[in-house]
Amino acid sequence: MSTNQVIEELKKHISAFQKTVEVEEVGTVIEVGDGIARMSGLTSCQSQEMLEFPGGIMGVALNLEEETVGAMILGEYEKIKEGDTVKRTGRILSVPVGEKVIGRVVNALGQAIDGKGDIVTKEFYPIEKTAPGVMSRQPVGVPVQTGIKAIDAMIPIGRGQRELIIGDRQTGKTAIAIDAIINQKGQNMKCIYVAIGQKESKVARIVAKLEENGAMEYTTVVVAGASDPAAMSFIAPYAGVTMAEYFADKGEDVLIVYDDLTKQAWAYREISLLLRRPPGREAYPGDVFYLHSRLLERACNLNKEHGGGSITALPIIETQASDVTAYIPTNVISITDGQIFLETDLFFKGIRPAVNVGISVSRVGGAAQTKPMKKVSGKIKLALAQYRELEAFAQFASDLDVETKKQLDRGARVVELMKQPQYSPMHVEDQVASIFAVDNGYFDDVVVTDILKTEEKFLDFVRGSHQSLLEKISKGEWDDSIIADLKGVCEEFKK
Amino acid sequence: MKISNKQFAEALYELTIGLNASDLDIVLKNFVGLLAKKHKIKQTNNIIAEFETILKKKQGIVELEVTSARDLDSEIIKKIKESFGKEVFVQEKIDKNLIGGIRVKIEDKILDASVKTQLTNLKKSLTI
Repeated sequence: MSTNQVIEELKKHISAFQKTVEVEEVGTVIEVGDGIARMSGLTSCQSQEMLEFPGGIMGVALNLEEETVGAMILGEYEKIKEGDTVKRTGRILSVPVGEKVIGRVVNALGQAIDGKGDIVTKEFYPIEKTAPGVMSRQPVGVPVQTGIKAIDAMIPIGRGQRELIIGDRQTGKTAIAIDAIINQKGQNMKCIYVAIGQKESKVARIVAKLEENGAMEYTTVVVAGASDPAAMSFIAPYAGVTMAEYFADKGEDVLIVYDDLTKQAWAYREISLLLRRPPGREAYPGDVFYLHSRLLERACNLNKEHGGGSITALPIIETQASDVTAYIPTNVISITDGQIFLETDLFFKGIRPAVNVGISVSRVGGAAQTKPMKKVSGKIKLALAQYRELEAFAQFASDLDVETKKQLDRGARVVELMKQPQYSPMHVEDQVASIFAVDNGYFDDVVVTDILKTEEKFLDFVRGSHQSLLEKISKGEWDDSIIADLKGVCEEFKK
Repeated sequence: MKISNKQFAEALYELTIGLNASDLDIVLKNFVGLLAKKHKIKQTNNIIAEFETILKKKQGIVELEVTSARDLDSEIIKKIKESFGKEVFVQEKIDKNLIGGIRVKIEDKILDASVKTQLTNLKKSLTI
């Protein structure tokens, strides 16, 4: 477009511009501090409405009282003074959504913070939205492959499921979520990682890792850092799921990780106490259950009439000294469709990921497992359960009968097989092959500490000579001939 | 139950309406007594402010705050007054940032007809 054209275009725009007298509803700040403000006036203010403070600072009205309105401030509240004029905007807090947010690092308001320029999208979605109803959902039936053997085999996750990852600090909760995101490459999944109240250095490291593994191509990172106001930590998960809903509405599958919801609950507690809402158990406000239930209810598996998209949620909860009976952990456990327990003891024993398979469950994921995986994983679950039972007993007894000894040996090998280093997700067909081999006793003569090395060699061998068999398994085929073939391959490898 | 300043002011207004001077003295004395009993003496100034707004509302007095970029001549002020009601008090303010036009504040509303806001709106309409 030439300069003249631009000028003509501008002229047209300017002459078409209608001047109007704007009517604004305003209020006056009567109290401000700690990220919240109390205002008089604003008579017809809505709940959750955005308010504009002087200097373009935004706030969200939370408490509508008889005489005053209480609001949380999204930004630098130090600049707001008593007596300042506050304007209503008539808008509910919204974030930009669309393809443009993919591959970016944004804050809780959807503004870019990765220095790659502003995000310009056509559409904005309000961050609070009612979850899809019963009639628009369908049962979970397609798996999410996390690439982690212990999870895919024994605690399977389906698309549209909400699976809690729970454990003490430093047990590898984030590692599981990040591995799951990395493994979504080429699986037609969009991923959203919401970092709530985390150290910026940790987020930077995660983003670097995702970039290194090529996962940023389909991932958005929403960050509310430890130094951001509590209001940002409070809204970040809603902002994340709103961005996910855009894709789900278009019929795409999305994986969203909330890391972690404990910190969101803390932020909400802080805001609630400052707004003088009555505290309840552990000083959390009465509606802290609703805080998480309305968020996680937005994870869904939509049926064909509604586009068939899905949002799989992996919320993370950090416990203190393995206390899962605290308020927030029990709440979130009851909301989600299962949980993955991570334990410090296992972590230091060298079992990483430190998943306690015995108490971890997935309430709906079983239906989503592929047939080969379902068949081979059933037996190792049993082997592991028997192993755990015998393990304690075997410490006292020196003489064990052959059968018990066999079960113990098999169990130890299964536990060893479930170990997996970070950032190395495995394909489902590889998982099936190696679990099949251990399960059928082909690794029984291998020293326990060499299991992983042998597994690697075995998989290299299978990939080299029997690629077609793996392809069949990855397509979900499983019948007697495949079993026979697999057995043949194992025997061939043993020679 | 906590009693708000507004409720005190409303009570005072309803008690004092149409009283003669001697009765007024008694009512006021009792009212101050009540405030002391309810530990509201500190709130007196706020209650008086609330009382004034109630009084103005009941008597149909409108208070305006007119902000403009330059001094307005009395003719314009008169016109503004006429368009808002019978008894109108106008407080004038000068704000060079407006560039031109006026901005009228009435209770919790602002009627904005300033050049600055028009320009901001124009900018918005051009950027999208």
